[in-house]
Parts: sequence; structure tokens; C-alpha cells
Amino acid sequence: MNKNEIIEKLTPIFREVLEMSDLVLADELSANDVDNWTSLTHMLIMTKIEETFGITFKLKELKKLQNVGDMITVLEEKTK
Amino acid sequence: MFEKEILYPILNSIKQFPAHNAFCINEAHFTYAQLGQCVSKIRTALQQCSYKSTNVGLVINDDLESYASIIALWLEGNCYVPLHPDWPLERCLDICEQVELDLVLDSSKKSRYDGIQVLHTSELVYEKDYLEPKEGVSDEDLAYILFTSGSTGKPKGVMLMRKNVAAFMDSFWKTGIVITEEDRCLQAFDLTFDVSVQSYLVALTKGACCYTIPYGQIKYIYASGLIEDHKLTFGAMAPSMLRYLKPYFEEIDATSLKACILTAEACPLNLMEDWYQCATNTELYDFYGPTECTIYCTYYKLTKGGKNKTLNGIISIGKPLANCVGLILDESGNELPSGEKGELCIAGDQVTKGYWKNPEKNESSFFNKEVDGKKMRFYHTGDLCYKDEDGDIMYSGRLDHQAKIQGFRVEMGEIEYHAREFLGGGTNVVCLAFDNKDALTEIAMFIESNEFNPDEMLAYMRTKMPSYMIPTRLFYVPEFQLNMNGKIDKNILKSLIK
Repeated sequence: MNKNEIIEKLTPIFREVLEMSDLVLADELSANDVDNWTSLTHMLIMTKIEETFGITFKLKELKKLQNVGDMITVLEEKTK
Repeated sequence: MFEKEILYPILNSIKQFPAHNAFCINEAHFTYAQLGQCVSKIRTALQQCSYKSTNVGLVINDDLESYASIIALWLEGNCYVPLHPDWPLERCLDICEQVELDLVLDSSKKSRYDGIQVLHTSELVYEKDYLEPKEGVSDEDLAYILFTSGSTGKPKGVMLMRKNVAAFMDSFWKTGIVITEEDRCLQAFDLTFDVSVQSYLVALTKGACCYTIPYGQIKYIYASGLIEDHKLTFGAMAPSMLRYLKPYFEEIDATSLKACILTAEACPLNLMEDWYQCATNTELYDFYGPTECTIYCTYYKLTKGGKNKTLNGIISIGKPLANCVGLILDESGNELPSGEKGELCIAGDQVTKGYWKNPEKNESSFFNKEVDGKKMRFYHTGDLCYKDEDGDIMYSGRLDHQAKIQGFRVEMGEIEYHAREFLGGGTNVVCLAFDNKDALTEIAMFIESNEFNPDEMLAYMRTKMPSYMIPTRLFYVPEFQLNMNGKIDKNILKSLIK
């Protein structure tokens, strides 16, 4: 899957879980920028990503995800 | 008492272990010598400030200055009032106003506090040591004020005295947990939440190193990294952190943990049994306590591989700590025999002086009762419990509409209040806490209305409350059904949650 396809699938997940219908995903976006991006919402986002992309994350991979860009990179790798 | 239990042990760590690490913050280590210098420079600057209130605001950034500020304030006989950098400014200003603060310590590059005197702690330069505790400070004086969710829409301030904290520390060590200067301890809680006080005090009073979690990091992931990478030996966690980590337990090496405290939420036994599989060398403890009773007031030590007491799968909260008295009382304040459910009420030196300028709440939350010929002041915890034949306390639920979200106390009434403020008084709103399919507590909000775009309402609510109080599920119900008593039937609403 290429970056644009991934963003297209990620956007509705983030918008729904973070309750921000106009959220635009950018590489630098991180939990620092969004108030309700917390442990709970992070877990919900990860579960939805796993369901949507049909993949599972390792804890090792989750530790590397510092922002949306990292997420896209990992997803590009895992959906190859 | 406070000097003996808290201040002298910390000062001793600074003196005896100058080259040991006191903190690891965002992968940077700080020694006890550096901590001592940071405390000294803040204390020196404090003395040069002119302020009337001994209650001082503290912006709780994740840095050495914020922790050193606490010690500097205590040495100076002051009380800290934590102000969270991520909370809406309006909520923080409300706290400043309620407590009548006239000084805020802030290490931020740019302070959010304009109208109040700010001491910029990150700009100070160390000149000389200044670590002797001020004389003439009473154990009745305040150590910290924490604000918790209030059902009427306004957060309420719980005042903890120096003697409360000292009594807590004494109680804590009497549980048999041993920490030395060789230990590495997790500090996984925001400083607005009192388990943080246990987390930093346990390390600092023994010369151990305290590992914090930076803002903007996902706590459970970062904490598991700290435990593995730095081989942490001790830590207090909320069960929900382990719940999030459970899918990855097989990947986690937590063999370095010697002791692990689970607290702030009901603690399920099956989760703990799984956790033993990665934390193979640990002793597990379930600690219970409302902020009003200074961090913890009861505890239960789990037996690995043995039988542990539970009620509905939730581990017993055990017996009262050394400086606490815990009774199960009926509505008229009579003690109930073992096995019978009633309200857990707590007395002893750890019980708060009361709520800041809140006579009504102080009247309703505390009462006097004679126990063994001695008059004692009790706190109504609002927790429904019973004692078994051995005196172990079993937790059964809340008597009111308070819930724990990621360990934080949340009053449903406060969320409903802010939603109604936005929607206009006429709209009925009900908030209910529920456990989702991953057994994590979420808040559902039911609005008596046709469906609408909630963005504006949620944005408004985010300016009033911390993010953990914002409902994660919304339901629109054209008309609320009433029950036989003519009240909104919450059971019907609850059944809408799938």
C-alpha cells in the first residue's frame, strides 16, 4: 500500500476515535498536539488500524511510533 | 514528624549519595547533587519573592525543576498546588482563584500565567546550598492541595497536611516494602494525582532513582520501555496500564521488578495472574485509597500461584495501613458485622483536614464516631465494601456516580454540568461510565435530542475539563424513559451501549 492509500484509510480512524471530524493527518502530528490522544484513545486507534489493515503490531513496533509519519512508515512496511 | 519522615531522609539522600541518580527524565539522568543544587536555587529565589499565601501554584512540567520546586516549597514551609500544563487554562485559573494564589512556580519557556507573579524556575542559577528546613513550621500546615472532580461542576481542593504525608510514609514502610539506594523506581503518574507523591517520595527518601514518563508519550508503551531498558525494580501502576499491555505480555521482560503496586482502580485477579508471567520475580500489591486519606489507606499482598481473595474477579483491597482505621458502616453509622455490605469509612492521621473553603462538602463528607472509647474523625469514602472473617476488605462498587477513568476520579455530574451549559439548561444529559470489551472504563454521554454534529459541544467541553473527562461515546435519544420513581431510567440508557 502506498502512503496516500494509507492516509486515506487512517484519516477516518483518527477522526472517529479522537472525535475531530476535520482532523488532517500530517507526518509530524503526535500525541503532543492532540489533547485527547491518550493511552485509551491510542489503544483504540491501534486496535482499529489492526482491524482495518488486517495486521498485528508488536510492542517493539509500537515503541517506535512517535508520530503519524512513523505509523505510515511501519504500515507501508507491513502491507508490502 | 514531616521532617523526620520526609525532609531529613531526602536531605540525607542528597548528602550521602551525591553521585547517584535521583531522576531519569526523558532519557536524561540527574544526580542527587544536581537535585540539591536545583532545590537550593529555587529556595533562594523563593525567599526573594514577596508573596502572602503559603499555598503556591506549581506548573507540573516533566523536568527536574518541577520536582525540585516541591522540595524547595516544603523546606520553606509552603504547600504546592499542582497546575497541569495540558489542562484547560480556565480550569487552572479557577484553581488559582479558589486557593487565592499569589505566586506560581513555572519552568515553562513561556508561562501561561499572566496576571499572577511567576517565578521562572528554569532561568535560575545555582550559587550556594540552601537546604536546611525552615524552623517553626507545624505538622498541621499544608503540604499539597489536589483538585478532584466535583459533582456540581467545580473541581474541589483536598488539603493534605504535612502530618498526613508523614503518617502515610510511616504506614507505607510498615507494609514491609524495602527500597534502597540501589533501586530504580517508576513514576508513572501526573503530579496532579497523588500516587505521584508515593512514586517520587519512595525513591527520594531512600536515595533511589525515579524514572518519569514525558508528556506526549503513550504511558503504557513508554512505561514498559522503561521497565525493560532500565531494569526498573519497583513501580506503582494503574491496572489499566497493564490491561493495555496485556496483548504484548509475551514480548515484555519485567523480570527486574522486585515489587509492583497496582492502584487507583479496581484490580482484576486474572490480569495479575498473567502479569506474573512477565514479572516473574515480583511481589504484587493491591493498594487502595482516596486522595482524602493521603494516597493509600488499605492494601493486600498477593500470593503468587496461591489463592487470592476476590469478589466478582476483583482482588480484595485488604486491611488498613498502620496509621488508618477502616470500618464498614451502615447508613446510621453503626459498624456492620463481617460479610455485610456497607460504606467503607476511614479515620486516622492520614485523613485530610478537609476541602478548601467548602463548608457543605466538609459537613457531609466527615463525621465523628467513638471507637473503643476514643472519638475519631471519619471520612465517607463512598465505596461499598464488606469485610470477610479475616478482616480483609472486599470492594463492591460506588455508592454514587463517580467513576475511575485511567485511574482519575471523575464525577459524572461534572461532565453533565458542562454539556448542559453548552446545550442550554433545557436539554437532559446523562453520563454513564461503562466497561468496554477490553474491560477498560469509558464514559458514554446520552443527550435527549435528535442527532447533531457534536464537534462544537466537544470543543467547548475540552476548554472546561481535562481530556480524560471527555465522553468517548455519544448517544442521541429523542426522549428519555422514566422509571417507576419518575427518574430517568439509566438502565435503559445503559442497554444502548453495545
